[in-house]
Amino acid sequence: MPRRPRRHQRLKSWPITFSPFGRALARMGSVSKPKRHSESIENHTPSSASNGFVKHPLDEKPEGSESSDGEFDGVVQADFAFFDPKPNDFHGVKTLLQTYLDVEEWDLSGFVDLILEQTTVGTVVKVEDDEDEGIFALATALNLSRYREQKCIIQLKDLFLAKASQEKGVADQLRLLLGEQAHNVGLLVSQRVVNLPPQLLPPLYDSLFNEVSWATEDEPTEELRNSFRFKHYVMLSKIYKHKNPEQKRKRSDDSEEAIVYVKPEDEIFHTLSSWSFCFPLRTQQPAPHEMKNYRSMGLIMAVEADKIPTFRQELGSLINES
Amino acid sequence: MATRLQFENSCEIGAFSKLTNAYCLTAIGGSENFYSAFEAELADVIPVVKTSIGGTRLVGFLSVGNKNGLLLPHTTTDQELQHLRNSLPDQVVVQRIEEKLSALGNCIACNDHVALAHTDLDKETEELLADVLGVEVFRQTVAGNVLSGSYCALSNRGGLVHPHTSIEDLDELSTLLQVPLVAGTVNRGSEAIAAGMVVNDWTAFCGSDTTATELSVIDNVFMLRGDTRPGDGFDGMRKSLLDSYK
Repeated sequence: MPRRPRRHQRLKSWPITFSPFGRALARMGSVSKPKRHSESIENHTPSSASNGFVKHPLDEKPEGSESSDGEFDGVVQADFAFFDPKPNDFHGVKTLLQTYLDVEEWDLSGFVDLILEQTTVGTVVKVEDDEDEGIFALATALNLSRYREQKCIIQLKDLFLAKASQEKGVADQLRLLLGEQAHNVGLLVSQRVVNLPPQLLPPLYDSLFNEVSWATEDEPTEELRNSFRFKHYVMLSKIYKHKNPEQKRKRSDDSEEAIVYVKPEDEIFHTLSSWSFCFPLRTQQPAPHEMKNYRSMGLIMAVEADKIPTFRQELGSLINES
Repeated sequence: MATRLQFENSCEIGAFSKLTNAYCLTAIGGSENFYSAFEAELADVIPVVKTSIGGTRLVGFLSVGNKNGLLLPHTTTDQELQHLRNSLPDQVVVQRIEEKLSALGNCIACNDHVALAHTDLDKETEELLADVLGVEVFRQTVAGNVLSGSYCALSNRGGLVHPHTSIEDLDELSTLLQVPLVAGTVNRGSEAIAAGMVVNDWTAFCGSDTTATELSVIDNVFMLRGDTRPGDGFDGMRKSLLDSYK
């Protein structure tokens, strides 16, 4: 019988019962009617299910008799679930990736198709039983050599190199990673809606890196298995850099950081990165008051695959303490 | 033959352009490709005008017009109004109207003879539509949606409507509008027809995600293939496109 990935076997080793999810389940089991929870969003840890997608058995919608006044007090209940990418997700994923390369015109649809075809590695986050099938987050890793013929990847590589051309030392390393060493390099793509609860991040990255390691064993051909043995990850993110970094030293209160990371995990990646560089983005959106001293920049960095376990650990502690 | 293009990686070109038989409006975008695509097709025949409306690039969603006139929302600035009056042919009456539903392009779909309007449109707006655009106005929903302008693309020769429009609604609308109608999609399954394409009597432009099948449907219903009779090619394709269960 051909061997199929048996994800749930490995997931049984996860300590589900000690997670907030497990505690919430236990709480639910002991009361007769669902009460409004103090924490607004139920988060997820992957529990046993086929294909790595999670089922949340709780009925979260408050009963009609329960919500006495029916007014919206700003708390939204949502069940998030992780899924493999499907062709149907095209429009949602495309919306998330609309600003990936700033305003450059490139084969975005082709890029989205690539991501959706790679079902073995890649996760999309949706709300359970949502008719609109809105995509809230996406995480995937694409081998740069496997897809090197694709127009979108060629355009992406050219763009990265063009942005790096100003930075002498880094440009050579980038060229190496995108060229000769491309078979060991994965492009890490992680995009989400701005207000996604941060509790979802550790499971999201865990599922991504787990899928990568499972793929090195489960893929049908030797070539595909090798394509997931990443030694480096390259990623493109957005950050806000303080316009006048010297001014910061003059201020007594260090309330203004030099760099503000749009995605919290980028800070960890940046610290662990082998190299990185920033470039100004062409679109400068009108900034809210707090951000008026910052300008948005793109950040390209490379992280060695060996550093990923450290990353996962630090991400867990970062999210738990915030 | 319909042309595929995109506006700064977005396939919602109906948001950023307005095409009629007498003129074409486009948004001012990052690259010149968008404007050039229209110029290439239309330059000799009708003026292609770059503009903003109310400082935004959503010229397609905010305005409604045909060969007789152009109606603009109250958010249009005086400079934009003057620019449009100067750039468009004299027989096109450009008017700014006070209508609380200011996304006129989303609320009203029209060709040179008839218009489908949002059910809550003001009476004065309906009268202005009839006077300025010279159309007969019908307050209608499309597939249960009040935003008739968004879910229907209309020319003098045919129309494309929301894919979930029932057969009865299709027949009713077709009788009202006196043109053949087809329920379909654009941009790889998107239901917002008017956001994904613009059309006039001899040409159409669609978002670049539009599949070949969608393009053939558009070519057929709007009769863009030169000398075909109404519904000619479509009947031929019908068997391969539609399943019928008896």
